[in-house]
Amino acid sequence: MSGRPELRTQQAAPFAGSFAGIFAGLVACGTLFAQAAGFTTSAVEFTAAETARILQHGPWPMAWSPDPSNRVSGKPGAIAFGEALFLDPRLSGNGKVSCATCHLPERLFADGKARGEGFVQLDRNTPGLLNVRLNRWFAWDGAADSLWSQSIRPIVDKREMAASTTHVGTLVRGEAALSARYREVFGEAPAEDDRVTVNVGKALAAYQETLVSGRTAFDEFRDAVARGDRAAADRYPAAAQRGLKIFAGKGNCGFCHFGPNFSNGEFGDIGIPFFAAPGRVDPGRHEGIRKLQASRATLLGAYSDDPARTTATGTRHVTLEHRNWGEFRVPGLRNVAGTAPYMHNGHLATLQDVVRHYSALNEDRLHADGEKILKPLGLSEAEAADLVAFLESLGGRP
Amino acid sequence: MRAGVLAAALLLPVVAAAQDCSPVLPGGTQLESARYSLGYRAVPGKPAVGKHFSLELAICPKPGTAAPESVRVDAHMPEHRHGMNYKAQVVAASGGRYKADGLMFHMPGRWEFIFDVRSSGRTDRLTQSFVLE
Repeated sequence: MSGRPELRTQQAAPFAGSFAGIFAGLVACGTLFAQAAGFTTSAVEFTAAETARILQHGPWPMAWSPDPSNRVSGKPGAIAFGEALFLDPRLSGNGKVSCATCHLPERLFADGKARGEGFVQLDRNTPGLLNVRLNRWFAWDGAADSLWSQSIRPIVDKREMAASTTHVGTLVRGEAALSARYREVFGEAPAEDDRVTVNVGKALAAYQETLVSGRTAFDEFRDAVARGDRAAADRYPAAAQRGLKIFAGKGNCGFCHFGPNFSNGEFGDIGIPFFAAPGRVDPGRHEGIRKLQASRATLLGAYSDDPARTTATGTRHVTLEHRNWGEFRVPGLRNVAGTAPYMHNGHLATLQDVVRHYSALNEDRLHADGEKILKPLGLSEAEAADLVAFLESLGGRP
Repeated sequence: MRAGVLAAALLLPVVAAAQDCSPVLPGGTQLESARYSLGYRAVPGKPAVGKHFSLELAICPKPGTAAPESVRVDAHMPEHRHGMNYKAQVVAASGGRYKADGLMFHMPGRWEFIFDVRSSGRTDRLTQSFVLE
């Protein structure tokens, strides 16, 4: 750009969340003005801003609507077929590794290991799959823009399930039971390898969309606040309330862990070492965007079942920036107590370690052009314990 | 004389554009720079954290100013020192109207819209700061 810009700044704030605006929103939701002005329990006094942020973490569960890019989304036959495929090791190159090998149902669909293990040890932690349907981007680097696209990736990755589209196509065409179920779900015989593999991904996605976590102690508290029900709110443990005040207040955790699923669905650099091995870095989101833009299985591509591409806005407009280097997806926090270890590479073993990381954050590890919102929280031991108590109230504690 | 006619002919579209153009969009916000009046409003409604939205723009040149040759729309969080993760695409319509698609604010907090309106080798930058809850 040439030419000197003429600067003009207006002070009006068209989208400011004024109290009037919050009030209007709360009234529309059938709640009370008292909450917009702050909420006080027997243990904690929440400011108006903290109260507003708390209310944004619900209601839960969220409304469900089918994925328009997946024509079998929400269909019982596809869900059942997808569950069978999820457990089926024949999808892998050696017939011994299934999706459930790493995404263990009894471990909230994670594996409890620092780094996943398929055919080899991987660079990244295996994320749990509860509430995965709420993601905008999938995998730690967001290389996939749909759950069905993401479901294909591990199958054909030589490090994970080490199969190929040829293997999947041959399997589904050749096994009578699989072929029959495929025909029943998709209304056509399994034919071309790529199409069969994409449809396997869509059935797997239909199943994973049903993996939704239940209500938690936090949800009961949040709804009590929305109702102005102090007696019910008081049943939420005091330590969790104090931790929530840190989370919604001075911790500013909600900048990234926003909304009912406690994630804004985007990416951040939080100072976790990104060396995958000596001399080899994990580029994170930077590489994820490059993979996305090279993929044929995106929401903009021919395999999407949505002619209007209504959910493809992010794919169409995502932009590759240098700051994406070393960024990883912001995970949701529901059931976080049950999905240790943490971070993209399992670098932190416990929730206490996570809180300690943010409390004593090493700003030197953040990229020079990275986010400037992360500051060491400097929590006391008691505050750190309270924050952990809040995180545990989000469910998942064994 | 001939040069005067040519100059008048060149000015006509500019004057006509200025007369036909209104920067006022119902429910929108209006900004001013030295050379342009700019109105904008979000569609389908008020932006929300994590939701893609579009902006409708009306950009009117002030007397003696040419119509915009290009319009760029962006936004950033000054305190966080980052912008959006998505690049807005601006498409021109008639009568000084434009539409910017693909915007998304991925965090609550203070954001600033940036509108760069370029013509005749110069860029007018109009900005608007606001807090997204």
